[in-house]
Amino acid sequence: MNIRFGDQLIAVLPRLRRFARGLTGSAVEADDLVQAACERALARQHQFQEGTRFDSWMFRIVQTIWIDQVRSRGIRKEDGEVAEERMGSDEAVRRVEARLALSEVRRAVDRLPPDQRTALLLVTVDGLSYKETAEIVGGPVGTIMSRLARARIALQLQLEAGGGMRRSTDNAEAQ
Amino acid sequence: MQKRSDDCLIAYLDGEGDVSERREIEAWLDTDPAARDKLAALAQSAALVRSAFDEVMHEPLPDRLIAAARGERVSAETSAKIVPLRRGQGTGSTPAARTWWLGLPLAASLFGLLLGGAVAYLSVAKLLPGGIGGKQPAVEMAAADNLWLDNAVGYFKLAASAGDGALVDVPATGDAREAWQKISQSLPQEVRWPDLNLKPWGLNFRGARLVVADGRPAAQLMYTTDNKAIGPLTLIIGSSKEPDTPPTLARRQDVNLLYWRHQGRAYALVGQTDVGYLWGIANDVAWQLDAI
Repeated sequence: MNIRFGDQLIAVLPRLRRFARGLTGSAVEADDLVQAACERALARQHQFQEGTRFDSWMFRIVQTIWIDQVRSRGIRKEDGEVAEERMGSDEAVRRVEARLALSEVRRAVDRLPPDQRTALLLVTVDGLSYKETAEIVGGPVGTIMSRLARARIALQLQLEAGGGMRRSTDNAEAQ
Repeated sequence: MQKRSDDCLIAYLDGEGDVSERREIEAWLDTDPAARDKLAALAQSAALVRSAFDEVMHEPLPDRLIAAARGERVSAETSAKIVPLRRGQGTGSTPAARTWWLGLPLAASLFGLLLGGAVAYLSVAKLLPGGIGGKQPAVEMAAADNLWLDNAVGYFKLAASAGDGALVDVPATGDAREAWQKISQSLPQEVRWPDLNLKPWGLNFRGARLVVADGRPAAQLMYTTDNKAIGPLTLIIGSSKEPDTPPTLARRQDVNLLYWRHQGRAYALVGQTDVGYLWGIANDVAWQLDAI
C-alpha cells in the first residue's frame, strides 16, 4: 500500500466519522460505514486523481456506500437512545440537560430526509462550500442550496417545537 | 436583484454568494428587523448542529479504523506492530516492564540516566521470551516497540503532570536553538532542531531533557499550548538500530502516540490530543527534519 495514501486516510478519519455519525445516527453503524469506505478507497486508490481534494473523494465514498445501504436495507431508525444519568448535583443536572439538548439536535438531524441530512452535514457541520458539496453528492449547486434551506428550516421548527434551542442556549456553559 | 428568501439568508450565513449579492443581503438586513431575527435564529441553530457533532472529533480513533486505513486487518496476530500489545497481553507487559521507567527520569545526570537505561534494558530483555536478539524477530520487534512506547508515554506523563515545574536539562529561556545544540551534542547522532513555535499549532517550547529510549540517549522536547484541543505534547528523538518503520499510531491508557523510525533515528510524538492534530504536527516535524 502507498504509505502516503494511508496517511491521508488516517488524517481524515475524524471528519469521516463525524459525517458518518450524522448520516447513520449510530456510533457503531458510523464506524462500520467508515471502515467500509476505507476498504473501498484502498481498493480503488488508483482512481484517486492527484491534485484533487482527498477529503472530498472520501466523503463521496462514504456517502455513496451509505446511500446504497439505505436503498438496499430500507433503513429507518427509531429515535436514538438517550443516555440516562443519575443526577447528583445542580452541575450534574445542567450537564445532563445540555447533553440531552444536543441529543435532541442529533435526533432532529436524524429525522431529516437523507439528501437534506447529507447537505446539512457537509455544509453546516464540515464547512464545505455549496460547490464542493454538489461535487460530492453529484448534483447541481442550486439543488444543494434548496436542500439545505429545507433542512435548516425544518430543523429550526423541530428544535423550537421541542424546546431544544432554548435549553441548549440556557445550558451552553454547562458543556 | 435577487429574490429575498430564506434560501438567500441561509446562503449568506454559509458564506456563499459574490460581493454584490452579499451587499444586497446586508442592505436588506439593515432595513428589516424580522430578517435580522431570522438570520440570528438560523445562526443559532447552525451552531447547535455543529456542537451536536463536535464530540466525535475528540474521540480516540478505534483501532479497527486505523488498521482499515492502513489496509490491515485487526487480529491478535497482526496487532502487535500497528496496534501495539495491550497491558496484560503478550510480551513486555510484566509489572517490571510497565514500571521500570518510573525511576529513570528522576536521575539528575546523564550518566545516571544512561546507566539506569542500560540496566533496565538488560533487565527487560531477560523477561522477554528468548531475550532481545533471539530467534523471533516479529515478536521481539513488537516487544521493543512496546517498551519504547511505554517509555515515551511515561516521560510524557511526567512532563505533563509537572507542568511548569517539569525537570529539564536545557531550559527554553533564551535562544532555543542554542539550547538544542547543547542537548544535541549528547546524542549519538546530530539532530536538527524542529521549530514548531511558528507553525499554526501555537506550541510553546518549554524545554528539553535527555531521556533513554531503546536503551540509548534520546532527547525529549516539551511543548505546551493554550489550545485546549491540543494540550501538552512531547517529541522524543532518539537513535535506533531497528529497520525503518512508517508512522504508526498507538494508544497507551489515555495517551496517543505517533511513532516511526527513519535512517537510524526513532521518533515519537506523544500527547492527549486527537490523532488528526498528531498527524499534522508529525508531518511538520518530518518536513523540517526530513525524518519520514
